[in-house]
Amino acid sequence: MAHDHDHDHDDGPAEPKGPGLAERTYFVPLIKGLANTLHHMFRVDANTQHYPEQRRAPAPGYRGEHRLKRDELGREKCVACFLCSTACPAHCIEIVAEEAPWSDREKRPRLFNIDMMRCIYCGMCEEACPCDAIELTPVFNIPSRTRGEKIYDKERLLSN
Amino acid sequence: MSEATNPETPLVNWVLNGQPVQSPAGMTIFEAAKALETTIPNFCYHPGLTIAGNCRICMVESNRSKKPVISCSERIAEGLEIQTESPMAIEARNAVMEFQLINHPLDCPVCDKAGECDLQDYSYDHGPDRSRFDEEKNIRHTKELGPTIDIWGNRCIVCTRCVRFCDEISGTGELCVVERGDRSVVDVFPTVPIDNPLAGNVVDICPVGALISNDFKFEARIWNMRKTDSVCAGCARGCNVEVQSLDGFVKRLVPRENMEVNKWWMCDEGRYDYRYLLADERVTACTKDGEPVEDHDAHETLAHWLQDPGGTLGILVDPYITCEEAFLVEQIASHANNALVGGWKPADGTAQSFPGQFTISGEKAPNRLGVEAVLGKLVFGSQGHALRTALEKGQVSTLIVFAGFPHPDPDDAWVQAIRKAKRRAVFALQAGAWTEGAGLVIPGASPFEKDGTYANEDGRLQRVRSFHAPGDVEWSHDLQRLQAVLRIAGLRPRSLSSSAVFRELADVKKPFHGLSHSTLPATGAPLPGFIPLPVGVEGGSV
Repeated sequence: MAHDHDHDHDDGPAEPKGPGLAERTYFVPLIKGLANTLHHMFRVDANTQHYPEQRRAPAPGYRGEHRLKRDELGREKCVACFLCSTACPAHCIEIVAEEAPWSDREKRPRLFNIDMMRCIYCGMCEEACPCDAIELTPVFNIPSRTRGEKIYDKERLLSN
Repeated sequence: MSEATNPETPLVNWVLNGQPVQSPAGMTIFEAAKALETTIPNFCYHPGLTIAGNCRICMVESNRSKKPVISCSERIAEGLEIQTESPMAIEARNAVMEFQLINHPLDCPVCDKAGECDLQDYSYDHGPDRSRFDEEKNIRHTKELGPTIDIWGNRCIVCTRCVRFCDEISGTGELCVVERGDRSVVDVFPTVPIDNPLAGNVVDICPVGALISNDFKFEARIWNMRKTDSVCAGCARGCNVEVQSLDGFVKRLVPRENMEVNKWWMCDEGRYDYRYLLADERVTACTKDGEPVEDHDAHETLAHWLQDPGGTLGILVDPYITCEEAFLVEQIASHANNALVGGWKPADGTAQSFPGQFTISGEKAPNRLGVEAVLGKLVFGSQGHALRTALEKGQVSTLIVFAGFPHPDPDDAWVQAIRKAKRRAVFALQAGAWTEGAGLVIPGASPFEKDGTYANEDGRLQRVRSFHAPGDVEWSHDLQRLQAVLRIAGLRPRSLSSSAVFRELADVKKPFHGLSHSTLPATGAPLPGFIPLPVGVEGGSV
């Protein structure tokens, strides 16, 4: 290197020392790793859940599949105010409003679709709802065979 | 209002928020402060209406009064000192807000005004964030006031803007305030619904969601809509409008302020006339001899027709084409050996004028003057007659028709005449008598989907814009289609934006000299030296 003529002043950091023999042969790390594997193989208090048979209880406040709530008369609580779709950062809620046939409110949703594949399960819709009409249930296993099934309509959301 | 614009008006020295300022004499404190960019909240004040001074939200502190004064009605004077943000002014404002909200329902989530509501906005800025009112809120009526207007009485703050509008601007006086005190609410007289040609404006000027348009009720939330500044094509007045659309569907039209054209208003005829955009008769795809064809094939066919018209080429324009499109029409005509350009326009309706100096033009098309400025003063007059005579004699072999009118009104003489052309291409908004039997039908754009300029009945050039977001629609508007045809026919090197086409037009045509899309003010500009004249009258500088 170019250190030949400027050895008077030491201005740069020292060259890092190379790995020692033990490290260069990888022997010690190999043994260490293997020991870790063996330790977990024969552990008695294994932390693994056997999923389909054993189900874990989600923590309180877990945000899974959505649900539209009904009031005591069985009508949807939603008044189609669009605040959930306004708050939604993923733009996955599609609402079309119509005039409600009931005297106690003006609007209700004619269409209420959530694109579950676009949803990021942030729970902002639940936060924004002024009528407590939408909530995120703890249901997390929501498989489907087609993409179309992933767009939940009003009926589907009300039946959750 | 008018005093402010007159340079002869003497100036008054006064003090606004500790700052010595000068304003033209006769102005109210509110208007003078607004001109000096100091905003004072207001509900009942509207620049187009008389001063009512009943909402009290605009109260400010004055050195001439022990109590706060209402800035919308007090006028400025020499030595007046006004504080808009002093403790007294703030306290007065907060108290007014608290009073306004005592009986106001908290239904912003379902209110169609939410998002553009003055009361909602001011409640964030002024007054306490919760009510001290424990008693029952009173209930006022919710009912239909007329065929297009509903009232939600609970939301009404009785500013009387709508009452004053009906008294002063439309001159019909249907609305009044009934009951007294906190039960007072706007209503109509029994058996006299609000049904005047300007009724829709009361919804726009309502500072809260009390007056709601039936047409827009529950249709969309304000903040979700795409807003495009354009011009109403209902008549030659050319009212400035904002087209509000959602997902490519027009939801409503609201007027834009333009003191030279429509002030703050527009008529219901124009306001509710956008349903034709979705009419069943709307032409959506190109057809050739009745069979659907690809756009490119249609353009190519028309280009071949232009290259070889097989005799006289006729072009029938309508007053719905933009100035830019008219310019391309002229290019087509100038390249043909033998071309006849004529115009057709829908029958005139009745002109209406209102006490508020608002007029509805009797001419029911937006751009007759613009087309005349490009194609000549006689295009709808003797040139039109010449084209029709040639058509009736069977002398026209290739005819291009622009049928962009929203409400096809088959003019029998013309319909019979155009069928005598050997082959006919129609740029049609809607299928009907004009497209029947046409060799080539090309979808036309409606005025709200065009991009270009219209000249109104005063010769004021105004910009129209398509409400579609770029990439929203897979079909193009007439200007792009015409350019595609001209490119294939070898008459133009490439397709340009409407602004670029306008630049070419401004270079060539005298009334447009010195104008461009980018320098055209939002309120439009008069065509320099262009004198608006009735149909078929030659004169002026063109």
